[in-house]
Amino acid sequence: MNKESFLFQAIRFLKNSPRTTFGIILILIILSMTLGANFFTVHDPLTRYDGEWHSPPSTEHILGTTRLGRDVFAQTLYGGRVSLMVGVLAGCISVGISLIIGITAGYFGGVIDGVINTVINIMLVIPSIVLLLVIASMLGGISPPTIGLIIGLTSWPGSARVLRSQAMSIRNREFVLSAEILGEKKLRIILVEILPNMLSLITSGFVGTVIHAILAMTFLEFIGFGDSLSVTWGMMLSNAQKTGALNSGIWWELLGPSLAIILFGAGMTLINFSIDEISNPKLKAQRIMSTYNKMMKKKEKQRLMESGK
Amino acid sequence: MQYLVKRLGYYAVAFFGAITLNFFLPRMMPGNPVQQYMQSLYKTGGTVSAEVIAAVEKMFGFDQDVSLFTSFWRYLLGILQGDWGYSFSRYPDTVLNVIKGSIGWTIFLIGTTMIISFAINVSLGIYVAWKRGTKRDMAITLTGQVMTTIPTIIVAFALSFAFAYTDIFPRGYSVTPLLKHANNWEYIKDVAYHAFLPLMAILLTSFGGIMGMRANMINQLGEDYIVMGIAKGVPDRKIMFGYGARNAMLPVITSLAMSVGFLLGGSLLVERIFNYPGLGMVMMSAINGRDYPLMQGVLIISTILMLSANFTADILSFLIDPRLRKQGK
Repeated sequence: MNKESFLFQAIRFLKNSPRTTFGIILILIILSMTLGANFFTVHDPLTRYDGEWHSPPSTEHILGTTRLGRDVFAQTLYGGRVSLMVGVLAGCISVGISLIIGITAGYFGGVIDGVINTVINIMLVIPSIVLLLVIASMLGGISPPTIGLIIGLTSWPGSARVLRSQAMSIRNREFVLSAEILGEKKLRIILVEILPNMLSLITSGFVGTVIHAILAMTFLEFIGFGDSLSVTWGMMLSNAQKTGALNSGIWWELLGPSLAIILFGAGMTLINFSIDEISNPKLKAQRIMSTYNKMMKKKEKQRLMESGK
Repeated sequence: MQYLVKRLGYYAVAFFGAITLNFFLPRMMPGNPVQQYMQSLYKTGGTVSAEVIAAVEKMFGFDQDVSLFTSFWRYLLGILQGDWGYSFSRYPDTVLNVIKGSIGWTIFLIGTTMIISFAINVSLGIYVAWKRGTKRDMAITLTGQVMTTIPTIIVAFALSFAFAYTDIFPRGYSVTPLLKHANNWEYIKDVAYHAFLPLMAILLTSFGGIMGMRANMINQLGEDYIVMGIAKGVPDRKIMFGYGARNAMLPVITSLAMSVGFLLGGSLLVERIFNYPGLGMVMMSAINGRDYPLMQGVLIISTILMLSANFTADILSFLIDPRLRKQGK
C-alpha cells in the first residue's frame, strides 16, 4: 500500500464517520491551544493583576480572573499542558504494565496465568480511587508527575484482564501454532504475531486510561493533594472551591477548567467509538448498512423525481 | 450451589490479598508514616518524646523487635476479630466505630444510585438496541457515553451552584440538624430532600452502561435462537425481554458490581461537596488529620463493599441463568 492510497483511505473513513472526525478535531483544537498557549493568550498564568480580583469576563480577560487576580483563560491553557501530560504519562505506564502482564498470562498459561490472574482479580476488588487517596496521603504533597505515576500504577488491572483474555484466544489460532512449529522464538511470536492483533484493544485501553487519569488527577487535586505551585485543571477547581467561588457566584472561575475537561473527555470518547467500530465488525457492518440504506433511499427519490418529469 | 461456594472461596482469597496489600502499603512508602506523623505533630507544636514515638510506632505495628511475619499475623487476626485499631484524629474512638457511624449513608447513596442507574441503563439499552442505527439510537448512546466522561466534580459543582446556592435544595447534611421529626414519614421526606442533589450528581455520570447493554443486546439478537424465535412467530415483546434481554443482562450485572468502586469514588467527592456525613467525609477528615489507621480502615471497608456487591451479583446471575444452576448437579 503506498502512502497516497493510505491517505485517501483515511479521508474516506473520516468522511464516512462524522463522529470520529468531530472527535479528532476537538482533540486537535485542545492540543494546539494548550501546547501553543503562548500564541492564544498574552497573559501569564501566574501573574497577579492587582485590583482585578474576581473580575468578570471582559475583552481584556476572556474568562475573567481568579480571586488572586490571575487570568482564568491563560490558566486553563497552560494548566492543560500539565494535565494532558499527566494523562498521557499515566496512560503509557498503565498500558505498558497491562500489556506485559496480560500477554504473559494469556500466552504462557498454566501456573503463571493462575498467579497473575489471582493478582489481577485482587487488584480489581480494591477500589482504585480509595487506594489512590491512601497512597497519595502517605506520600504527602505530590507533584503532577508523581500523580501520573501512581495513577498509572493503580489503573492497569482492568485492561490487563481484557488483554489477557484476548491473548488467550489469539494464542490458539493457526498462525501462532504454525509459528511455534516453525521454531520461532517466543519473544518474536509475542511481538510480531500476537501484539499487532491486539492493537485496537491497546489503543482503546490507552484512550480510556488517559480519560480516567485526567479525571483521577482532578479528583486528587481537588481533595487537596496537588502541588500548590503548579497550574493544572484540577488545581484551578480546587483553588476556586477554596476561595469560595461558588458562594459568591464567581461562575467564570470554574467555567474554563470544567469546559476543557468535558470537551477533552468528549473528544476522546468519540475517538474511542471509532476504535471500537474498527475492531468490532458487527458495529461496522451496521454503519455500512445504514449508509447503504441512505444511498438506496436517495436513488429511489431520484428515480421518483425522474419519472415525475 | 457449588458455584456459589466456589465464588465465596475466591472472595476469601481476594480479601486476604487486599489485607496483605493494606499491611505492606505503609511499609513500601519512602519515609514511613510514623515519621510523617511525627513531622506533623512537631509542626503543630506537640512534644515529640521517645515515649510518644514508641507509642505511635506500636499503633502502626512498627515495633522494631517483632518480625515482619509476626506483625502481619497480628494485623490479620486483629482485622478478622474486628480490632481495626484506634483512630488518631478521633481518639479514643476506634476505627470501626467511626466507620460504623458513617457507612450507612454511603451505602444508602451508592445503593440507590445503583438501582436507579441499573433500571435506566438496562431499559434504555434494550430500547436503543431494538432501534439500532436510527438517529434516536445514536443520540441516546452518545449522550450517555459523553456524560460518563464529565467528572463528577463538575456535575456536583453545577448542581450545587444551580440548586443549593439558590436554596431550592439544602447545602449540606443528610437530615436537618437539631430537628425532631414528628413521625417516620417526615423523617423519610427530610432524608430524601437532603439526598436528592448528591444522588443526582452521581447518577448523571453513570449512564455508560447503556452502551454495554446495547452491544450485548445486538450480539444476542444476532444469535440463531432469536432468528428461530422470529421464524416461529414469537411476539416481538417476548423476543426482546424473554429471549434477548435475559441473556444480555448477565454481563451487565457483573460489570455493575465492578462499578461499585467507581460509584464509591463519586460518592467520596459528592459527600465532600455537599457536606454529606458518609464515608467520604470520614476519609477527608482522616486525610486532613493524617489518620492512617482510619484511612486504611476506609480502604478495607470499601473492599468489603466491593466484595459483597460482587457476591450479590453472583447470586443474581445464579438466579437468572439456569446454566449456572445446573452446573453443580
